[in-house]
Amino acid sequence: MEFPIAGVIVSPLILAGTGFIVGVLGGFLGVGGGFLAGPLMFWAGVPIDFVVGTDLAHMTGKSLVAARSHRALGHVDIRLAMLMVLGTVPGVEIGAQIIEALKPRGNTEQVVGIFYVIILSLIGSFTAWESLRTIRMRRTEHINAQDAVERTGLLYHSRLFRIPPLVQLPVSGVGEVSVWAILFVGLLTGVLAGFLGVGGGFLRMPLMVYALGIPTHVAVGTDLFEIVISAGYGTISHALKGNVDVLIALTMQTGAAIGAQIGVAATRYVSGPSIRLVFSFLPFLAAAMVLLRIAF
Amino acid sequence: MPIDHKTTEHTDPSFKPLMRSLALELCIYAPLVTIYFIVVLHFAKEPLIQLYEQGSTSYAFVTLFLILMQGVLLEAFTSWLLRRIGLR
Repeated sequence: MEFPIAGVIVSPLILAGTGFIVGVLGGFLGVGGGFLAGPLMFWAGVPIDFVVGTDLAHMTGKSLVAARSHRALGHVDIRLAMLMVLGTVPGVEIGAQIIEALKPRGNTEQVVGIFYVIILSLIGSFTAWESLRTIRMRRTEHINAQDAVERTGLLYHSRLFRIPPLVQLPVSGVGEVSVWAILFVGLLTGVLAGFLGVGGGFLRMPLMVYALGIPTHVAVGTDLFEIVISAGYGTISHALKGNVDVLIALTMQTGAAIGAQIGVAATRYVSGPSIRLVFSFLPFLAAAMVLLRIAF
Repeated sequence: MPIDHKTTEHTDPSFKPLMRSLALELCIYAPLVTIYFIVVLHFAKEPLIQLYEQGSTSYAFVTLFLILMQGVLLEAFTSWLLRRIGLR
């Protein structure tokens, strides 16, 4: 089927299937799944500038639904999310401007593709390493997953995140944390969101847990809430630059809606670290697909 | 009597009903979503292409509106449907 806005012919089944896989992952892992949807769209033949904008659009709707559920469960720290947005929004704009700057040079696909491969390889390696370590720590020291994460987190070991002004996050159970640390996390993940078309959850989640000391369940909910705002802004920004195919985004979202139901239900049967270990190979798979597309 | 480990895998009493529910969800929900998708594409395709070609600002806001509305409506529809057929 032809999608004239992006100027590409892709089977809607592939797009809905991609949305389905990303939906399962989103429900299962609590991430937006853009790190996988982007490479899959790119591999299917969608031009990279449309991949970035359309991926953000599709994630906005999906994350809104998930964030509403988490908000009802009290898993969203609004104060943390709003502070982080102040860093994320400028970051998204910087990322989108980088894409615009690359367009006239004609090498956007290569540059973004190589960044994808590097980021995906880092995510896969980190996730596998962290999951194995947490599982081992739980076995040998008989402590729960959150304690295991906190013991190895940056906040536990250093006072680097105490630069004033400090803010209290009672919903997250964090006494005091530097506003600068929150803004930095937001800005960094925002640049990635605007440049790669990802929500940034795969990076923001571990940074919130390890660097800011946020409990995992609050980090998941707050991350999704943050994605709605940052991806929504990214959608507008990229659409103004002509980088969004709304028909592709709507098609993907239909698959994602089914997948999310299955993903959420499946979390009842597998523990957190085991889930992360099982899925640590997916970023490598996505990296291989991007490499194939760039090479051929 | 020796225990057959192959047959005792996944003996969580709620596992089989869950799998049955998921299969039913897929069978009912997937065709409905497919029909919805075809109808939406049929009616929305041309106006959206025209909007994209005419001006970026209105296209940008319509895109965000559509994607948010579809997300909320699909979720509400799924929840309602699953409650109606007793799967949730």
